[in-house]
Amino acid sequence: MKRRKFLKSLLALLGSTTLVSFAYPLVRFIAPPSKKAEVKRLSLSKGDIPAGEAREVVFNNTPAIVINRPGKGYIALSKVCTHLGCLVEFNKEKARLICPCHAGEFSLDGKVLSGPPPKPLAEFPLRVEGESIIIG
Amino acid sequence: MYGADKNFFQSGDFMWRRIKKGLEVRIGLEDLVNTKLKRYTVPRNTNIFYTLGGVALAAFIIQALTGFFLLIYYVPHSDHAFRSVQQIMTSVPFGWLFRLMHVVGANLIVAVVFLHMLSVFFMGSYKKPRELTWIAGWLMLLVVLTFSLSGNLLPWSQLSYWTTTVVTAMPTAFPYVGDYIANVLRGGEFVSGVTLNRFFALHVALLPPVFVLFLVVHIFLIRRIGLSSPPFGEQTAGSGEWNEYRHVSYPDGYSFYPYFVLKELYMVLAYLVVMFFVITFVPTLFLPQGANIPADPLKTPAYIKPQWYFLAPYQMLKLIPNKFLGISIQLLLLAMFILWPFFDTGRERNILKRPLLLVAFLASLLLWIVLTVWGRTS
Repeated sequence: MKRRKFLKSLLALLGSTTLVSFAYPLVRFIAPPSKKAEVKRLSLSKGDIPAGEAREVVFNNTPAIVINRPGKGYIALSKVCTHLGCLVEFNKEKARLICPCHAGEFSLDGKVLSGPPPKPLAEFPLRVEGESIIIG
Repeated sequence: MYGADKNFFQSGDFMWRRIKKGLEVRIGLEDLVNTKLKRYTVPRNTNIFYTLGGVALAAFIIQALTGFFLLIYYVPHSDHAFRSVQQIMTSVPFGWLFRLMHVVGANLIVAVVFLHMLSVFFMGSYKKPRELTWIAGWLMLLVVLTFSLSGNLLPWSQLSYWTTTVVTAMPTAFPYVGDYIANVLRGGEFVSGVTLNRFFALHVALLPPVFVLFLVVHIFLIRRIGLSSPPFGEQTAGSGEWNEYRHVSYPDGYSFYPYFVLKELYMVLAYLVVMFFVITFVPTLFLPQGANIPADPLKTPAYIKPQWYFLAPYQMLKLIPNKFLGISIQLLLLAMFILWPFFDTGRERNILKRPLLLVAFLASLLLWIVLTVWGRTS
């Protein structure tokens, strides 16, 4: 191998090694911390949410809403709109959850009724034990 | 007294001549001014739209200076950011002036760059051999918009928080990698103090050198190839086949300095007039209701709207029922505009002789205006 070719190959090797050596730490440095599985439970009193009403809570760091649907019982939904992440608002008169950003509308079951959201609101597990509503 | 003044001015003049002579000996100042400014000529039929690039540069310098002043008092922490901005506005002497100059300038610079791009398009100046100049200009526009998005979060207001939430959620339209990209942008699942730090670092440390890099490339290309002449007047230097490199010059044109520089200076002053008019008479034009309420991650206000230049894409997203489709269409349109010189390869630069392109141009402009107004009022 000629000297010039050897030096070119060496430069390419050292250059790519340097690049890779910094690229990996950089990707790890910028990447968000891995999501920890939250297992906390949240307990509410049934008396706090009369029929047709809703209550906003924060469940495992996610803004959520617990709704007492007349005739259908309680449901816990994420408030994060599946379109672009704004928080939906409970509209008692329309019995809907409405996103103020791009006018997406959801039923009280979390299903998409109109607008651009691509999927229903995330639902959290909920059960009623005596006078308590337990989410999670 | 008169004698003392005369001596003072004489000594000042003497000093100036010594500095000039010193520079002449060391860097050949006169030759530099003659070759790069006085003998560098521009077409005689240039119009005021040719000054918009210079105005955009001046606007960027104003943003950099006022941004530096704001940095002295701004605290990039989610617990203190909103309060520090309020203190700049209310307690720091003339803090309101530099903040408003920065806020109004951030909007005006986008308007100037938009106008610059529109005029370049209208005059067909993007055509061969200036495709790279056009792309460098587009990259600068994208950097300006990224400046706007990142700077928008820094006051940590309701407006900041929720517009950032929407923007950083856009990558989620794309399967597999979308959520990961959104989380990298935010530094987590939601917009938080981590996002603020990321956007702050981007705004003050990364974007300025990137902008300057594209600016250097843009100006280098303009000087290397030569300024394009308007396709409507008499001068047609640079037209014809372009199969090998040549520099376009205008031996009968005006000197860049002082004639064109003075023209640019007038337009920069007009820019400042507009800026101070807004600051004086409509200071809240670019600071709507949500800009003065601290960020509340648990409440999306009903009145959140993006800045005026994002209203058209915002309205499009509302109208197109599929998120992936809505965002993909916008990205495709963006790519089409950036790469337009490679689609439009015909030699005719005069848009008035190309009725189809003229109609498409006016229709696109009208559509953009309609969507913007609709987005504002809906």
